[in-house]
Amino acid sequence: MKKVLIIEDDSFLQGLEATKIIKSGFSVIAAQTGEEAMSKILEPGINIIILDLLLPNFDGFDILKKIRETETTKNIPVIVFSNLSEEKDIKKASDLGATEIMVKSNFSLEELIGHMNKILA
Amino acid sequence: MNELEKIKSENDKLKEIDENKSELISISAHQLRTSLSALKWTLKMILDKELGEINEEQKNYIEKAISSNDRSIVLVNYLLTFNHSDDLSYVSKLKEINIVSVFEKVSADFIAELKNKQIELIFNKKEENIPNINCDEPMIMMVLQNLIENAIKYSPNKSRITISINYNSDNNNIELSFHDEGIGIKKEDQIKIFNKFFRAPNAIEKETIGSGLGLFITKNIVEKHNGKIWFESLPESGTTFFVTLPIH
Repeated sequence: MKKVLIIEDDSFLQGLEATKIIKSGFSVIAAQTGEEAMSKILEPGINIIILDLLLPNFDGFDILKKIRETETTKNIPVIVFSNLSEEKDIKKASDLGATEIMVKSNFSLEELIGHMNKILA
Repeated sequence: MNELEKIKSENDKLKEIDENKSELISISAHQLRTSLSALKWTLKMILDKELGEINEEQKNYIEKAISSNDRSIVLVNYLLTFNHSDDLSYVSKLKEINIVSVFEKVSADFIAELKNKQIELIFNKKEENIPNINCDEPMIMMVLQNLIENAIKYSPNKSRITISINYNSDNNNIELSFHDEGIGIKKEDQIKIFNKFFRAPNAIEKETIGSGLGLFITKNIVEKHNGKIWFESLPESGTTFFVTLPIH
């Protein structure tokens, strides 16, 4: 079973994402703050990370930077799943090594899972 | 302080106010997006019966709620695109769609309004095979919704609305027209009709509620898709809006 780390500060959204992803056959771990995310990314066996950008403490960009700089996590695919859509944010996430960038409100959870499956195929 | 310094200082103040306004719109829009995402995903789970069985009536209501929520998402996307020209919400979801299917989906939402006003909706399609267009589907849905909604709003009871969709192979465009037998747009108002917040006096008289943003947004969306929009109108006898959208 593939393991997904969901980094999302809104607990209701996190719950919805987790429910749907688990139903699609993945196992899920989750983090709600930047600090929590910084330690969770180091857990072994993570296959893909769903990353929100607006988080308390460290933001999603700091976390993405850390993921790409850390030897054990640098190759983990990261889907930036956020409601930020300005060019500067998209460019920054892309420059930092996001595998894919999706604007949350524009996509259904089925579409998110479709993209996850494609990346992991 | 001399005159030039005064102007410069006022200019700086205006710039600051403008930046604050943009930031406020940006923060509000992002907060709205979070709630709209939650609603979108929850409603979809209910519709897919992941939270239990639902009956046909509940299904209809949920479908309407999803459609209304999607409309709000488009509005927020539009607000962000309008607030920051470098916002990429629009390009993030371009896909191939069939305009006739989209029209059928959109027009189904207006069955009740048409019935209430006893308006007959006539749909003309000259070409059998209309090619797909590459576009932001929710935004194009909003264009169709706004134009159909206006046609109904400003039409008298027991009148006709004629909508045509055609493919022009000479210039590789989809051509749409929306004709109503409504109040029309007076000559002096025609130049302002696509301006933001503008509502023609005869439109306000007929329908007091309205933001004056519908046609402004519609025009912007059409132009973002490299299309064109214009109209022909005669007061008291009706208006036809024309839209062209390129295939590529």
